[in-house]
Amino acid sequence: MTYTTETGTAGKTDRTGFWGRLSTFGPYVALTDILLSSPRRQFWFLLAIPILWVFITHLGPILQMLNVSLLSSYPPSPNKVSVYTLENYRKFWSDSIFITPFIRTLVFSSVLTLTTLIIMYPVAYFLARHVRRDRQILFLMLLLIPFWVGEVVRIFAMMILLGNNGALNILLQWLGLTERPIPFMYTGFSLSAGIIYLTALYMLMPLYSALEKIPASYSEAAADLGAGPWTRFRRITLPLSLEGIASGCTLVFLISTGMYATPVLLGGPSTTLFSEVIAGFFHVAGDQWPVGAAFSCIMLLTALALSGGFNKLMGFLAGRVSK
Amino acid sequence: MTDARDPIVRIEGVTKAFGSFTALHEMNLSIASGEFVTFLGPSGCGKSTTLRILGGFETPNTGRVILDGQDVTALPPNKRNVNMVFQDYALFPNMTVRRNIAFGLELKGMGKAAIAARISELASFLELTAYLDRRPDQLSGGQRQRVALARALAPDPALLLLDEPLGALDAKLRGQVQVELKAIQRRTNKTFFFVTHDQEEALTMSDRIVVMNKGRIEQDGTPEDLYFRPASRFVAEFIGETNLLTGQAIGRDQDVTGFDWQGNRLRAIASPGVGATATTASLRPERVQVAQERPGTDNAVQGRVVNRLFKGHRMLLDVAVGNTVIQAYTDTDRGRAIEDGPVWLGWNANSLTLLAD
Amino acid sequence: MTRNTRILMQCIYWAFVIYLLVPLFLMMLMGFKDSKFIGFPIKSWTLDWYMTVFADTAVLQAFAYSMVIAVVSTLIALTMGTWIAVALTGRSFWGRAIILGLTLLPAIIPGVISAIAFRIAARVVGMEPGMWAIIWSHAIHNVPFVVLVVMARLSTMPKSYAEAARDLGADPIIAFFRVSLPYLTPAMIGGGVFCMLLSFDDFVRSFFLGGYEPTLPVLIFAKLRSGMSPEINAISTIVLVLTALLGLWAERSMRGLSKRASHD
Repeated sequence: MTYTTETGTAGKTDRTGFWGRLSTFGPYVALTDILLSSPRRQFWFLLAIPILWVFITHLGPILQMLNVSLLSSYPPSPNKVSVYTLENYRKFWSDSIFITPFIRTLVFSSVLTLTTLIIMYPVAYFLARHVRRDRQILFLMLLLIPFWVGEVVRIFAMMILLGNNGALNILLQWLGLTERPIPFMYTGFSLSAGIIYLTALYMLMPLYSALEKIPASYSEAAADLGAGPWTRFRRITLPLSLEGIASGCTLVFLISTGMYATPVLLGGPSTTLFSEVIAGFFHVAGDQWPVGAAFSCIMLLTALALSGGFNKLMGFLAGRVSK
Repeated sequence: MTDARDPIVRIEGVTKAFGSFTALHEMNLSIASGEFVTFLGPSGCGKSTTLRILGGFETPNTGRVILDGQDVTALPPNKRNVNMVFQDYALFPNMTVRRNIAFGLELKGMGKAAIAARISELASFLELTAYLDRRPDQLSGGQRQRVALARALAPDPALLLLDEPLGALDAKLRGQVQVELKAIQRRTNKTFFFVTHDQEEALTMSDRIVVMNKGRIEQDGTPEDLYFRPASRFVAEFIGETNLLTGQAIGRDQDVTGFDWQGNRLRAIASPGVGATATTASLRPERVQVAQERPGTDNAVQGRVVNRLFKGHRMLLDVAVGNTVIQAYTDTDRGRAIEDGPVWLGWNANSLTLLAD
Repeated sequence: MTRNTRILMQCIYWAFVIYLLVPLFLMMLMGFKDSKFIGFPIKSWTLDWYMTVFADTAVLQAFAYSMVIAVVSTLIALTMGTWIAVALTGRSFWGRAIILGLTLLPAIIPGVISAIAFRIAARVVGMEPGMWAIIWSHAIHNVPFVVLVVMARLSTMPKSYAEAARDLGADPIIAFFRVSLPYLTPAMIGGGVFCMLLSFDDFVRSFFLGGYEPTLPVLIFAKLRSGMSPEINAISTIVLVLTALLGLWAERSMRGLSKRASHD
């Protein structure tokens, strides 16, 4: 058998495929020669659009919000001159109807984050450690499916559970624990139940993936060296899952502070959260937008600062434990 | 022998640095058409960088690469008439074997019928006809390696680059594939540029071996040259097993040089360029004769057997001479017959090579 | 861990599963209750509420509107997310961390604040509230998720694939479409379905950026505020079944992917 470098006689009827026609198409080749001729050009060709996208669409709206928060009036109208001012921020301190929901939001979100962590840690640990690998997906699915359903639908389901004629009240009355229905709805209780219902997955997933990564042999090695269950947890498992705790808490905290439909539907007058206050400025006409923008900026900065600080703290703890 | 034919590749003064690490220092090299050249060296020696520069995946800081008379230094990989067999084969997992081989042909703008003809030609040549419609993950290691070879040969490159393509195969298959690969190279008469850290692979297949160390060419020659006349201590140690004797070169008598070692005046040879100041000489263990009586070789010293290692068909003897141990291979029966105690070691002048430091 | 703590954890897990599933289950039951009044007990059953839903043009329109928004915003998010992921993977350059940080920013900004920022930005650039404003905000919000999924997949792709394509004569663009993109497809399907669910389910952005036409979640919200009607149960049940099926399908395709990757 002989090896030839002849590629056969290509007749006139021999058609070239799409990619062949493209890669030998003069204008295309000329264009790619200009755009992609060097690694440097390829780099800019590849990166130019992502850079523009993240600066314009990801950062842009936040900067616009910041800008509007400093204006005396917005949207622009012909009979008002808009000037830069800090008045909108000053307004925040002026009235407890603003500060109280703000503090409430922070406290509420923090407490719920902690509660979610305490509930979800054993769940994640159970899934990662005590469920057989091939069945973990099934067990996870049971938790995942409800989270694919939208916020509003889940709030509605919560309303059915907690209403005066809801399943929970019927159950309690049937058990004889109460005679009249307990008003769960429009209270801190219904709001908390709803928020946990909506955010738990964001705690579970980081915890689960952190715990799943820790080889069981670590704990076994520690046991072999004489460490009891509590010591093993405190010295091995907990430190190694700090990263998961940090990201889970950050996510849940940030999501809770930004919830709107949930407090509107499940909360009551005594549980007004800051997001409702902010939204209020956008419902009414006129130049309330700058105030709403200013309040949003305050909320955003506080939330990011708190979660940033929390992450720093966790990083510090993780660093200290590893020493 | 390298300049007898037209060089297909010329590397001229190529330097490549990655940050503060210089991977290649001012490399100069020509490769003749149809040659099987192996770049051999430990990891980080610059052999892969050379390969990637030839393929167009790295741009040298200085110097030029001439391929077939054309300066390709700045050309991207897709504009070079060079193809590569990757270390992990890099067969496209989403395509069948047929589509993999067709890939380069399609992009050349070849017609469908011509592509089909070329594929069947290559497939029968590389015994892949039965596997053309399989996907890469349905193939064995050896089959994948042949597909990678077929895919790289398909566009008829001027130069074929092979990046440790046997590393992923198990030891038994590797020997067989070495023979196949060499046969394929002979039959296609392609220029193969083969990169490996495995000296046995290099010795088996190559027409010419370039030994690299720390970004420089350490030695460039035929496998026999490298094995029997290593130019440096590095080459002597990297290729095969050797005894390194420390002494002093003493003058020249035509091409045979004297070597003063532990008070013995030994007769030795020196590669060109090795000066009269050499202090190290290499002696391959299989070139040393062990005997009860003084052998009739150019050099002979006395020592005593301190250890024997049984290696199947032969035996490795450790013989203490003065304060050094010299290792020598004998066949097993002979090794057994030698008694503990004083023995003679003998070797000819052309087995003792003076090395550059 | 001792046996007792293990059992305790198991109980917490199942309690939590009940907590998650029971409300949805009750909601589904209510959709079949033959009474205008939502609450227990259920005395007789009917399919009337489903008939009402299928005859309600407002619901059907909102459903179609949400679908269009989900599909278009997902296509935008997939394109940009994949582009960013490809640009940021496998190279280090000054400012990479900043760009990655900005890329992920929309995912961590609290919902109401991001909705308001988009509302203001839309006003500044003169974009009317309505379909395009919603699509835009959903696309931006979903880009980070695509980036994360695609980057994860890309990090498992041997560098040699793209190099082999280049070596065989493909320019970077053809190499991407013929080799990288097919490799990324399963991750993009998974990421895309996730984006569609996020968009379809989104309330807060659709609420602040919407015009007169409501998306399905906004419509449900409006109906809930004006009093609970069993029709909402039927709508929600349909949405639940559809999203669960889509989610399960995406999960399966993603799982097949990781299985195949470990098999290679």
